[in-house]
Amino acid sequence: MADVPQPRRVRPKLAMGLAGATGLGRPLLSFGFILTLWIAVTGAGLVPEQIFPSPLSVWQATVEMAANGTLATDLAVSMRRAAIGFGIGSVLGVTLGLLTGRVALVRALLNPFLTLLRPIPAIALVPVAIVWFGIGEGSKYFVVSYTVFLTVWFNTHHGMEYIPDIYLRASRSLGASRMREFLTVVIPAAAPHIVAGLRLGVALAFLSLVAAELSGASSGLGHRLQEARQYIRTDRMFALLIILGALGATVDLIVQWVGRKLVHWQQG
Amino acid sequence: MSSGHVRVDHLSITFAGKQGPVTALAPTTLHLAPGSFTALIGPSGCGKSTLMNAIAGFVQPAGGAMTLDNTEITGPSPDVGVIFQQYALFPWFTALGNVKFALKRLGLPRAELHDRAMAALEEVNLAQHAAKFPGQLSGGMKQRVAIARTFAAGPKVLLMDEPFAALDAQTRIVMHHLLTDIWQKHRATVLFVTHDVDEALLLADRVCVMSQAPGRIIRDYALDLPRPRSLRAQADVLLPIRDEIITLLHPTHADA
Repeated sequence: MADVPQPRRVRPKLAMGLAGATGLGRPLLSFGFILTLWIAVTGAGLVPEQIFPSPLSVWQATVEMAANGTLATDLAVSMRRAAIGFGIGSVLGVTLGLLTGRVALVRALLNPFLTLLRPIPAIALVPVAIVWFGIGEGSKYFVVSYTVFLTVWFNTHHGMEYIPDIYLRASRSLGASRMREFLTVVIPAAAPHIVAGLRLGVALAFLSLVAAELSGASSGLGHRLQEARQYIRTDRMFALLIILGALGATVDLIVQWVGRKLVHWQQG
Repeated sequence: MSSGHVRVDHLSITFAGKQGPVTALAPTTLHLAPGSFTALIGPSGCGKSTLMNAIAGFVQPAGGAMTLDNTEITGPSPDVGVIFQQYALFPWFTALGNVKFALKRLGLPRAELHDRAMAALEEVNLAQHAAKFPGQLSGGMKQRVAIARTFAAGPKVLLMDEPFAALDAQTRIVMHHLLTDIWQKHRATVLFVTHDVDEALLLADRVCVMSQAPGRIIRDYALDLPRPRSLRAQADVLLPIRDEIITLLHPTHADA
């Protein structure tokens, strides 16, 4: 068949420029835009500095916290809590998800109950956690791991339910034992869902951690945020919020990258 | 040595439907001689895939009996290999890994496992693609890996459910030759489900035609012709049968 000339798509100039901004270009453009807006609003003096701090004072607050050492300590403490909570929650979540997906009895015993737990927000658990584990590390681990567990369990179980029947048929007619089928067919087939659950779990780990640190903690980014409220240090609050955002985004990128390596066969 | 003898006697299959059980297969009797190549052809929904799934052990029958070499078929087994239309390769394993999966149950030493898997890929001319994942292979290549994988498990019976339906005409011809060659080497008993009359005539020793749902076998042709076949070269035998089958498959067209 002869080549039919395609009508040329004419794009407006601005869109053309945006399409050219690839990789880091796009986020930088967006950040630059918001930063300019921020400078303009605070520079115009419409809002008191103490309520809505300028980018410069937020930067200075960051430098201040970095210099007196609280930033590094808070980061380390919070990251440690998030990591341990995530570790416990995700191991439990994947294990139980594989069990409820595979063993009818476990499913019958646990699924209705776990499904009922899912809508309870993590913050609502903080008071219970404090009564049970005090304001130390225990309550943070509990809240984070509980939140991560439910999400990871749900996604793992969901992934197990949607394993294409044809994989199991192929595996059994090729003579695989149930154990080999479980390890080399069922788990990889559910892996894309499990990885998606872990990624959600990471985001929720930060969310629930800060919730737990806001009330009843003596260290960590969430605690520092609460402390800044007592001194009405909005510049510190903004600095901490931005750090939390950047931290969450970075970890999410890493998890996404690792996930893609793990389930390399999954396209799109 | 007579292995791969399949006997299906008065087998019927029902599925649970919204308004009670639905008959997917009316009582059907089919005997497959060891090492024979039988094509099963019928209109869509006639139950030909259901019959195949029953012999594969994927579906429990409602009545009747199925045996392989006088042993009742109760579930999937490596004696009965299956080639699926959708290939059913494991996308997380390479082509080689997929073939190795079939060999694992033999408990071979590592080196032998690797060599035998490579030999199986060699047989379907895919040795140079051994390290590729299914997502990197074309449809025809995927089905070749699946054929290598299934034959590697050493089945006595090979069930193929419209294995080439998703391939283009050119690739299908290549696959017909490849399948014929490998089958003549391994001599498993083949049941080949298709809705392509020409494919059935080119490949099989025997062609069974099924009726509209609920299906039964309404005609049984023996084809004692040398391979490779062609509709043109063997027209005097094949074309009359072809016309008959087409009329059987589309009875309403004759009336219209």
